[in-house]
Amino acid sequence: MWEGIYIGVTTAVMPFNLLMMFVGCFAGTFIGMLPGLGPVSAVALMIPVTYGLDPSSGIILMAGVYYGAVFGASTSSILINAPGCASTVVTAFDGYPMAQQGKAGKALALAAYSSFTGGTIGAIFLVLFAPMLAKVSLSFQSSDYFALMVLGLTAVAAFAGKGNILKALMMCILGLMLSTVGTDRSNGVERFTYGSIEFIDGLSFLLLAMATFALAEVIMSVMDKSTNAQQKKTNDASSLGSMKLTKSEIKEVAPTVLRSSVLGFIVGVLPGAGATIASFLAYGVERNISSKEDKEKFGKGSLKGLAAPESANNAASTGSFVPMLTLGIPGSGTTAVMLGALIAYGIQPGPRLFIDHPDVFWSVIVSMYLGNIVLLILNLPLIPYIAKLLEIPRSILIPLILFFSLTGVYLVSFNAFDIQVMVIICICAIGLKLLDFPLAPMLLGFILGGMLEDNLRRALLINDDSMSFMWERPLTAIIMSLAMLALFGQPLLNFIRGKLSQRKTQDVFDAE
Amino acid sequence: MTIAKDRIGALIFLALSIGYGLSIPLIPVYPGDEYEIFTAKTLPTALAIIGSILSLALLYAARGAKKSALPELDWAIAIKLIALMVSYGVILEPLGFLIATTIFLLCGYWLLGERRKWLLFSCSLPLVLCFWYGLTQLLDIYLAPGLVMQWIGGL
Repeated sequence: MWEGIYIGVTTAVMPFNLLMMFVGCFAGTFIGMLPGLGPVSAVALMIPVTYGLDPSSGIILMAGVYYGAVFGASTSSILINAPGCASTVVTAFDGYPMAQQGKAGKALALAAYSSFTGGTIGAIFLVLFAPMLAKVSLSFQSSDYFALMVLGLTAVAAFAGKGNILKALMMCILGLMLSTVGTDRSNGVERFTYGSIEFIDGLSFLLLAMATFALAEVIMSVMDKSTNAQQKKTNDASSLGSMKLTKSEIKEVAPTVLRSSVLGFIVGVLPGAGATIASFLAYGVERNISSKEDKEKFGKGSLKGLAAPESANNAASTGSFVPMLTLGIPGSGTTAVMLGALIAYGIQPGPRLFIDHPDVFWSVIVSMYLGNIVLLILNLPLIPYIAKLLEIPRSILIPLILFFSLTGVYLVSFNAFDIQVMVIICICAIGLKLLDFPLAPMLLGFILGGMLEDNLRRALLINDDSMSFMWERPLTAIIMSLAMLALFGQPLLNFIRGKLSQRKTQDVFDAE
Repeated sequence: MTIAKDRIGALIFLALSIGYGLSIPLIPVYPGDEYEIFTAKTLPTALAIIGSILSLALLYAARGAKKSALPELDWAIAIKLIALMVSYGVILEPLGFLIATTIFLLCGYWLLGERRKWLLFSCSLPLVLCFWYGLTQLLDIYLAPGLVMQWIGGL
């Protein structure tokens, strides 16, 4: 392990990679601050930039952007009550009231320190658990991988929220359908190309990610009249107040930060759960275990209420890298985009990553920690100035973001046809968003589609065309059971609860 | 405007799954593939069936759902920006990167309400020139000059 950490440190502290980390954190903070653009959009926007870099530098840049975007999203939650992404919605619950009370500086500092602690604890756990899990997963066979991918897809759907499981599953299927467009990798036949040579290589991951997470998000934010009104509020956020925390305040929030970080990491490791659930869960737990006096402060500018989601979402962001790096299954939408970028580099994430590309594996882990330090020492003092960047008129920013998205895809293929395909996918994505269909499961399905088909085909070949591996191989059976549990657990629980309450009502009725 | 989002979504997805399923026979198969358990058609067939079942399930689940209002959105600006992006895709190769991108940015700023001339011009041509210089001279990426530039050069 120490040898690995040494490789990671030497790769991450190379001047160019350090520069990438700084640039990533800064760009991520800026993009994350823009209402409507979250970490997924920020990372997607960076993919074309990273294509010219070596894999380690590229992934370090994207990790920096990820962290920066989460931090930036918290900043806009606190300053203008406009969360940049879902995982910082809870931050606004207590962060914005603090800003209204003239304690914006204190809220930002507390968010930064909590994020740093969450990230640090997450990075330590990542160092400890990722290689362990990677070693265990070396014994995995094709059937286990197939089961893992099914688990990844069902888990994402299961965590999609109440009433959205079906929609998320449908989006996974749509992603899998899109992944079948092009030449079949195993036997070379064309599928769903309809005779067009443009589709022989299939749809590009970059094109799909940029169209759904950059173009569609930007167009949606322009369409949304309330987002346009939010920019006016940024001008009021120029005076932040003191950024210092007192000793008693640090003592008050320290246990909260530690608890929430551990909780956040555990939730982040679960495929599909991600930072949003972690932040809500941490806030809920902290509120429930607080004294009555403290409980009343929640929602009115409580320090604990701000520290809990901030440390949890950063720890969860780190945690979501565990399944991606060790099993090749992304834990969140953002890591799904990063997984796609790694595959585009020709690197197969999974248990062999830390053997075949130790520099990439360890430099990502080390850069996560360094990224946290960069955020703390560089971004925090710069926040008043970065906030000023938000005053750039949206009429200038939006066309520039559209230009970077379109050019990013064009510069990879040098085919103007891709721009038209991007626009069509963007229109479809807007429609899907308006109908409340989540887009992250689609991207996950698209990325995992090829691997899922290959592994199923191989598993069938090994097992003489029999599906019996699903129940005969213990590891596959356990993972498949977990997938079924993720999918049917909640509906089954609801059904049992309904039946029980029905029986109770019946008993009361009979007694009367 | 109120719509039954789930029902519309389910119907669209059902149509998509059926269309996808109907396209499966177009996938060519090699001789002898009929004896294989897993061919290029297997996964698409499974996906078309699962997709249809999920759509029907959503349609069933949404039978009692109330219609919900669409958020108040500025459709005009979205249509204009989409038209601008399509036009950019059309003019990019004939006009070349420099001219097409400058026009795209100028029109984009204008569409979003920017009328200050100094800002319109300072954020378009100089920025595109810097980007073009970085790509072609620093990163050594070849960008086709476009038919117009070739024509001017040929004069």
